[in-house]
Amino acid sequence: MALPKRIIKETERLMAEPVPGITAVPHEENLRYFDVTVDGPSQSPYEGGTFKLELFLPDDYPMTPPKVRFLTKIYHPNIDRLGRICLDVLKSNWSPALQIRTILLSIQALLGAPNPDDPLANDVAQRWKEDQNAAIQTAREWTAQYAKV
Amino acid sequence: MKFARTFKQHLLEDGFPEHWVESAISYRKLKKCIKKVEEELSEIGLDADTLSLLLKTAEKNQGAGSDTEDQEEKPFQYVLSPKGSRGQNEEKSYPTKFQPKLLFMIDEATGEPLHAKLSPETKQYLHQLALSENITDIRITDEQDDPKANPTDRKNSLASTNSRSYRTVEVPLISDSQFFGTLQSELSGLATIQKEEEKKLSSEVEDLSNVVSKMTKPKDSKSKHDLQQWRRIFELYLDSRIFFSTSERDPWANNYERAAKGLGNFAAELQKQGLYDDFKSKEGALALHKFLNINSELLQGLKFQEINNMATMKILKKFDKRTALGATSNAALIFQQTPIPASLARAVCAEISNHLLATVPQLDDYLCPVCFSIAWRPVRLQCQHVFCIRCLIVMQRDKQDHCPLCRKKVVMEADSDNLDDSMSRFLKKYFPEEVKKKQKENERAAGRDTYGELYDEKCRVM
Ligand SMILES: [Zn+2]
Ligand SMILES: [Zn+2]
Repeated sequence: MALPKRIIKETERLMAEPVPGITAVPHEENLRYFDVTVDGPSQSPYEGGTFKLELFLPDDYPMTPPKVRFLTKIYHPNIDRLGRICLDVLKSNWSPALQIRTILLSIQALLGAPNPDDPLANDVAQRWKEDQNAAIQTAREWTAQYAKV
Repeated sequence: MKFARTFKQHLLEDGFPEHWVESAISYRKLKKCIKKVEEELSEIGLDADTLSLLLKTAEKNQGAGSDTEDQEEKPFQYVLSPKGSRGQNEEKSYPTKFQPKLLFMIDEATGEPLHAKLSPETKQYLHQLALSENITDIRITDEQDDPKANPTDRKNSLASTNSRSYRTVEVPLISDSQFFGTLQSELSGLATIQKEEEKKLSSEVEDLSNVVSKMTKPKDSKSKHDLQQWRRIFELYLDSRIFFSTSERDPWANNYERAAKGLGNFAAELQKQGLYDDFKSKEGALALHKFLNINSELLQGLKFQEINNMATMKILKKFDKRTALGATSNAALIFQQTPIPASLARAVCAEISNHLLATVPQLDDYLCPVCFSIAWRPVRLQCQHVFCIRCLIVMQRDKQDHCPLCRKKVVMEADSDNLDDSMSRFLKKYFPEEVKKKQKENERAAGRDTYGELYDEKCRVM
């Protein structure tokens, strides 16, 4: 099936006006599959790290949200061991007027504002609530270990 | 090259109108003023070296553990206070004039200047000043000059220092008033020029809008052709981002250099795409020429303000360097009256986009926010958001009741009454090609819904 105009336009715009701190490049053989990098926001434990993600646009996109997953290991209460992300706009709060760029910005914002009350990685969230300083320290170490290019 | 020369060269060679050049910052004259201030100061032993030494000593003393407010510890202050400022109610039909004042801190008991490492003659001079003021009992503060001055000004008048038995005396200078007076009236002259220019260009934009609007109203094949031409021209214009870079995160104003490059690129692209003389209407080429003229004149305005701003900044810096009075820290007051180069561009660009560009509807303004193609046929939901009928059908099939833009539950209730007929007519008139194409796509998608994916294949075979 031909690539919908919407996806072509989104891709063009991502290339022409990239979002600062975010890259998204489609695979040549599958234009619905994107290699993504997101820079950790400043003043967060992820600062200085560049995180790799994969993003896939399902057939019925934009009626259904893109599927996004972290490939780089990350210590975060809303991201689990497999890199799956707990973020409302990727699930129940998805709207077909949202776009790849807005979703990636939301993910970057999630790194800046972890939410241990709505966890996906339960052990991390637990630790985040019990000893936030230690959890942030671990997040920093993981960033240094896994997310430095 | 010295700035004075560069500045003069720009003024003479860059093709500015004569009355602009006459109103430019008179850099040389101001420089001479500075020289006079310098002479006046050194006559009373307050040359730049002495004053900066004084400041340094004061800072050192303060570093030694005093936690008093630094305001009070300064040996002297150079302030620009509003001159003749009346009550706040009075209408400000003219810009506020500023009166520069050099105020020295004098020990009330001894008449000695604070922290002063001054020559005996200078001390004597300041002492005399203090004495003469004791006699006449005039405190050199604003409220004495003007009993109606508002109370907030009083705070700045160093009155609090009296409790520490210091008082301020004003060192009378003449040439500095001349300096600031000249600078100020020149700045307000520049602001007037900017306003006139804005008015002139805005009315030119309006005239041009009328011409283009007449030319492109779709009625026959001629006007339809020209509509397409102007749409491409304006698309290119917007893409060139000549005066403003509009990234959604931070739209910033371009400086002259970037704007000049942008305009150059735009003109080159017009040439490349053969848009200069491909009009059916005979006014077309002339109108495009006028459009380019408006843009280059705007560019000139930007440049003129930019070099004058530079001259203002440089001359204030020079004033500080030569006198050590620290005028630039007070210069915020003056800069409030300085025309901002970008504001001319902002005003005229707003005019261009609201009047001129609006005469030729751009496709980007009529896209369905879900499929990003033209919103044909347009369905207006109860929340007033518009989508193409195809996307609405898909949303209803998926039982997605929330409007994609505002999340109101209005999708399922939509029916044929929600088709926006007047927008349909508009789209058909201004975007006939795009409508035709989208109509075909919608029909094909509907066919797929009915006959399955094979519909595509069959159609192609047939
Ligand atoms: Zn649509
Ligand atoms: Zn809505």
